Amino acid sequence: MQCFMCGAEVANSKICYNCGADILLYKQIIYTSYVFYNQGLEKAKVKDMTGAIEALKSSLQYYKYNTRARNLLGLCYYQIGETVRAINEWVLSKNLQENDNPDADRYLAEIESDPGLLSKLNSTIKKYNQAIEYCKSGNRDLATIQLKKVISQNPNLLKAHQLLGLIYIEDGKFADARKVLTAAAKIDNNNTTTIRYNHEIKARLKESNKRHKKKNDVISFSDGNDTVIMTETSLRSMLDNTRTSLVNILLGLVVGLLICFFLVVPTVRSNMTDGNTQTVISLNETLAEARSENDALQEEIDKLKTSLSAFDNKQDVSTSYDNLWAAQNYYASGDSKTACEYIQLVTKDVMGEQGQIAYDNLYAELGPAMTEGYYEEGNAFYTEENYESAIINLKNVVDTDEKYNEGAALFLLGDCYRLTGDTDSAMECFNKVIEYFPNNKWGRQAKVYIAADDTELSAAEIGD
Amino acid sequence: MIDFEEELKKYEPAIEVEQAEADIKARDLTDLTDLLYNMTAQNNTTKQ
Repeated sequence: MQCFMCGAEVANSKICYNCGADILLYKQIIYTSYVFYNQGLEKAKVKDMTGAIEALKSSLQYYKYNTRARNLLGLCYYQIGETVRAINEWVLSKNLQENDNPDADRYLAEIESDPGLLSKLNSTIKKYNQAIEYCKSGNRDLATIQLKKVISQNPNLLKAHQLLGLIYIEDGKFADARKVLTAAAKIDNNNTTTIRYNHEIKARLKESNKRHKKKNDVISFSDGNDTVIMTETSLRSMLDNTRTSLVNILLGLVVGLLICFFLVVPTVRSNMTDGNTQTVISLNETLAEARSENDALQEEIDKLKTSLSAFDNKQDVSTSYDNLWAAQNYYASGDSKTACEYIQLVTKDVMGEQGQIAYDNLYAELGPAMTEGYYEEGNAFYTEENYESAIINLKNVVDTDEKYNEGAALFLLGDCYRLTGDTDSAMECFNKVIEYFPNNKWGRQAKVYIAADDTELSAAEIGD
Repeated sequence: MIDFEEELKKYEPAIEVEQAEADIKARDLTDLTDLLYNMTAQNNTTKQ
């Protein structure tokens, strides 16, 4: 080590033997400077910028060539938004130690690399200074606006946050003040001014609460942009007036309802009755029209039906004549059975007089054969226990000749009715059999059925 | 209670960029080592 006075080599001695300078004291000064630097570094690491700046300033007051402390001081200034002070420290650092000062070189190079930074910075600083002027001249509103702009441009400018917080406190906007001061505390968490302002907010809020409790009779509320403050008494009287107004409004409503009930409602009812009468009349008219129209349509339908039946008859005339002609032909050729089938298809009523005479003659000739055919078929169905079909055939026989085959057809018809559960028709048939043939086997059997009312005997038990 | 006017006096205008050079020049960079140097020099002069 060299002596700070004469530059002679002093090694570890406490005094320079060349000039007598106190080397120990010199060493202690430099040591103290580095102690302060270490404190500043620790504080900067935990974002206690105020403490760091104080320590670093002390460090530099002991030993101005402590370049690390000066560079860190510049960095701390930069952190709290005071960029010009930061630049100054780095420039000084560079001047005091031109070589082997990489940190200062880097910081200054970064500032120079952004050409617009300085002009933007200057604009922010001017606005901040302008805000201070506004405050001093009593224009806190303008100052607030300027400070908001400053904070938006340079969010780290601690002083701007603090000044804005102070204005909010003065204006009684404690919530806003607390918000701004919270942001300030994030930049520098141990700043005395910030802490003091926060305490001030708490104290003022407490006082405001006490005052509010004491002066309960004073009531304030906002009406649009205005804040109205009045005593409780005046508010009560105002509310009393409001009650009177409400009573008047209610009375008005009641009177209106009464007028409505006695004047308007009867008129409306009368109008409704008139309207209903008109509706009924018009509906009756409509109904009458509909009925007359219905009658006309019915007449038309009848006419059409008549026309249609005439047309159907006309159509049936030729068919009937054809069938009659076919029946005659088959009868002439000796095929009575086929002739019977054809004559059954003839409609007698649609034919002319000669046609009907021809039909009657042929029918008279074919009648016995037809009856016999019906009887045989009916008997066959009866044997097969197909009673419905047997009834159809036997009824044709009985319609032609009730006494056919000595009452056999009539008895079998009655028995078919009995077996199908039509007891009344069965009894009617059995009575006729007894009436016509009381002594033959059909008559006797019929008597048995009627006398014993034994209608459960089967066809097999009766026999032929 | 904070007096707003008194508190406001603590706020000084920030240094503008144009004033940076003047601010550097105006800085008193004297430190303790300078004082020690002067004191030692004075002592040496007095002894001689």
